[in-house]
Amino acid sequence: MIGVVRFLGTNCDQDVFEAVHQVGLKPKWVWHQDHFDRKDFDALIIPGGFSYGDYLRCGALAARSPVMQSVSEAAKAGVPVLGICNGFQILCEAQLLPGALLKNNTLRFKDDWVDLKIVNSNARFGGAGLKKAHLPIAHGEGRYYLEQDQVKQLFDDEQVWCVYEKNPNGSLENIAGVMNDKHNVAALMPHPERAMAEFMGGEDGRRFFESLLT
Amino acid sequence: MKDLDRKLKAYRISSGEYDRIQTLLGRPPRGIEWALFSALWSEHCSYKSSRVHLKNLFNKSPRVLMSFGENAGVVDLGRGEKVAFKMESHNHPSFIEPYEGAATGVGGILRDIFTMGAKPIALANYLCFGEPTAPRMASLVDGVVRGIGGYGNCVGVPTITGQTEFHESYNKNILVNAFALGLFREGEPILSAKAQGVGNLVVYVGAKTGKDGVHGASMASEAFDDDNSAKKPTIQKGDPFYEKLLIESCLEVMREKLVVAVQDMGAAGLTSSSFEMAARGEVGFNIHLDRVPLRDSSMTPEEILLSESQERMLLIVEPKNLAKLKTVFARWDLDAEAIGEVTKGPEVELFWQTESLCRLDPKVLVDEAPRYERPFYVWKNKNRVEESDVKKAVTPDIKKILTVMGDVRGNGRSWVFSQYDQRVGAKTAHDCRDSVGILRLPDTGRGLGMTLGCRPYLMRFDAKVGAIDSIAYPALELAAKGIETMAATDCLNYGNPEQPEIMSEFVATIEGMSAQCEALGAPIISGNVSFYNETMGENITSTPTTGLVGVCDSVEHLPKSHFVNKNSEVYLLSNVQMQISGLWSEVARSPTVGHGDIDVKSHARFVELTRKLVSEIRLEATRVVGKFGLGYALARMCEGRLGFAVDTAALRSSGIQSSDFFVEKLYQAILVVNSDHALKLRERFNELAGGAQAPIKLERLGTVVEDKFSLGDNLDCKVSEIQSAYQTSWEVLIAGLS
Repeated sequence: MIGVVRFLGTNCDQDVFEAVHQVGLKPKWVWHQDHFDRKDFDALIIPGGFSYGDYLRCGALAARSPVMQSVSEAAKAGVPVLGICNGFQILCEAQLLPGALLKNNTLRFKDDWVDLKIVNSNARFGGAGLKKAHLPIAHGEGRYYLEQDQVKQLFDDEQVWCVYEKNPNGSLENIAGVMNDKHNVAALMPHPERAMAEFMGGEDGRRFFESLLT
Repeated sequence: MKDLDRKLKAYRISSGEYDRIQTLLGRPPRGIEWALFSALWSEHCSYKSSRVHLKNLFNKSPRVLMSFGENAGVVDLGRGEKVAFKMESHNHPSFIEPYEGAATGVGGILRDIFTMGAKPIALANYLCFGEPTAPRMASLVDGVVRGIGGYGNCVGVPTITGQTEFHESYNKNILVNAFALGLFREGEPILSAKAQGVGNLVVYVGAKTGKDGVHGASMASEAFDDDNSAKKPTIQKGDPFYEKLLIESCLEVMREKLVVAVQDMGAAGLTSSSFEMAARGEVGFNIHLDRVPLRDSSMTPEEILLSESQERMLLIVEPKNLAKLKTVFARWDLDAEAIGEVTKGPEVELFWQTESLCRLDPKVLVDEAPRYERPFYVWKNKNRVEESDVKKAVTPDIKKILTVMGDVRGNGRSWVFSQYDQRVGAKTAHDCRDSVGILRLPDTGRGLGMTLGCRPYLMRFDAKVGAIDSIAYPALELAAKGIETMAATDCLNYGNPEQPEIMSEFVATIEGMSAQCEALGAPIISGNVSFYNETMGENITSTPTTGLVGVCDSVEHLPKSHFVNKNSEVYLLSNVQMQISGLWSEVARSPTVGHGDIDVKSHARFVELTRKLVSEIRLEATRVVGKFGLGYALARMCEGRLGFAVDTAALRSSGIQSSDFFVEKLYQAILVVNSDHALKLRERFNELAGGAQAPIKLERLGTVVEDKFSLGDNLDCKVSEIQSAYQTSWEVLIAGLS
């Protein structure tokens, strides 16, 4: 069972739910006020969107909602947690992932397709053999940032999951996605659920859902 | 008497209208009634100058389920799928405060859609700006685009197509028209705004009421003057987060059948929503204004009635369902407050605690609003400059194509649409880069296509032709992707209707659009009129924006809008009825010349032939030839290293000369086909054309090649030159944009 977490304002929830379903896995809704047992889920996904309208800071309010206590416990117990776009921002705000996501360097929202290079592949997140992916982005605050003295550590600990071939937002070291030190929490700014079929412009996104149960 | 004049001016009521009110009421209006008449008899709410003509719009079709009079039209696409769509203007607010004006334009049109019970799945926008050098223009462009993105992205509805125009007539009055479309899946209910059931509750849901937007509707019904900053407090502020919650929660209560009728509080807020709902249902209301949730406790009853605070809805609910309804809204963190009840009527009575503030028959305000038959003349092409040999007015030169590609009028629009989320919802098959937006419908896998129409430079040349084109051109664009037009919406932006020239263009528009719609069998199911787009005596170009929606069987193998493979063959499909010098003349600041007229029936046959050809033959790419003619259209199809080279022998046999790449011809479409399928294309064309319609032709133009772009006769350049001109950054084209 894959838990799909919904906050007020989350808007990629149904797309992610559908994507999980499409690859033959079982999605189940998790509401922002819920508490759950970590044994209830094989993996959790925090989808993108504008939780709480991006008020205060992207992800800041969602990170402090009741459900995140359960997410945090599950993460500590080793349950895989995948964050997408706003989900990435929420996981950083909840300190389950290092760093922060700042306003794009253009100071504008950006919708585009990007080419990703997988720096450290992971069996649960995209699959062990994954080398690259062509995925859409849509964000105003996707510029990954980390204190300069921690960047080397992030690379040394193999926590850099994927980088952009061509930097769309001024992200530090072209970083598009990172993992926690135990490699069971991962998040990226691009949207794999929007690349599930040829008509969408590609199907590279499927791997990111298929791999969750491996 | 002076007092009365001052009051009439303040409430924007004419002395003739004042007399009418006296006759209807049998006495002069008093107290709060002044504000009610001011709002509901405004042009914006009553359509008093347009209503007599709007009834002539073609809207008859068995597939129309809801039409004018409701918040949006609904059309049955068959196979259990229905869509609601509409387009609306937010011109005046956007000129005063571009970010909030544009954002609330998107919010308002989305509410019109989900009020019907449909889940919004697509947005589009039609924008007209002034010259890039006009005062404030850079900040207007910036603010409007940010506002649309800020709202649409957050609420989670993708923007999948649009159009952006630039012309000096919009220097002091920009246009911001927002289009939204929602989907009903099989079995989902269509809601109405007709109040019903004596004893039912009138329930207020959504954001609390504040002082924003008070008198907005009557402001938007007035021309601009020098002192627009004084109008700022009449602008509303939107909150897309609240809207997102409203969409989810309202659709939930509708699908659980907890709602009898529903109306959003748009222009003139609670006033129009309550009186219109009561009038439509032929019932009365008792409304307790003191129960309205307020953001500012100092608000007067009049302000509460006229506030245009965003993200608010009015629901009619059976008393037994109120508790259930409140539970759903509470889950979404929203308050639902019963503020009144449905009565036998006919009056709507407004209370402040126990005091009755006013008691009025809603029909007096809604149905009895004035209707004006503004003077107009039978259409004659006053602006049109006839020239039977249009070739004389254009000089073929490849540099001219490169020049206009580096001008806002011919440049790429990616600066605009890359700021919009085009893929949320995971249905997008063709995004803003393509000439037509296409979504995949989730249940049948069919393609749902949409595109906007109206070319203002054609309106300036001949308003009747421009009006026909505002349907004819987008219908052909849809057909060129294999999509059959099912229905249309319009947003009619005009100047001062009290001027016969403007009114004549308006009347000619209705005739032209209607005629083409009827020929295509595509009804107009919803719309909006925006008059008084006039600043200090200068009117905008009459701009009848349209949105066309259609379906195709599948989203697999849709033709792209640019070249895909080297060596593919390029054909020109045409049914030329008109030739003009078009936008070339405007760029050169010389009068547009042309000749011919559009026979709407002939065009409808051409559209159907095009659609059949495209849906039966596997084509790699298609593009309808539009502004700047064939050469520019071919240049826009260049992609990566892929360019185009004419086939000189083929051109010689078909008689196409270099000037034919520059004259704008109505209508032509470029078809690109892999050579394996070329023979089949020609054969099928011959069968479909059947020799009968002489002007319909299919001619071979040339081949997709690499790096080179050649139209013959020394009209050559490199593909890279086209790319760099077309992609010239808007920060360069529009000084002050950063």
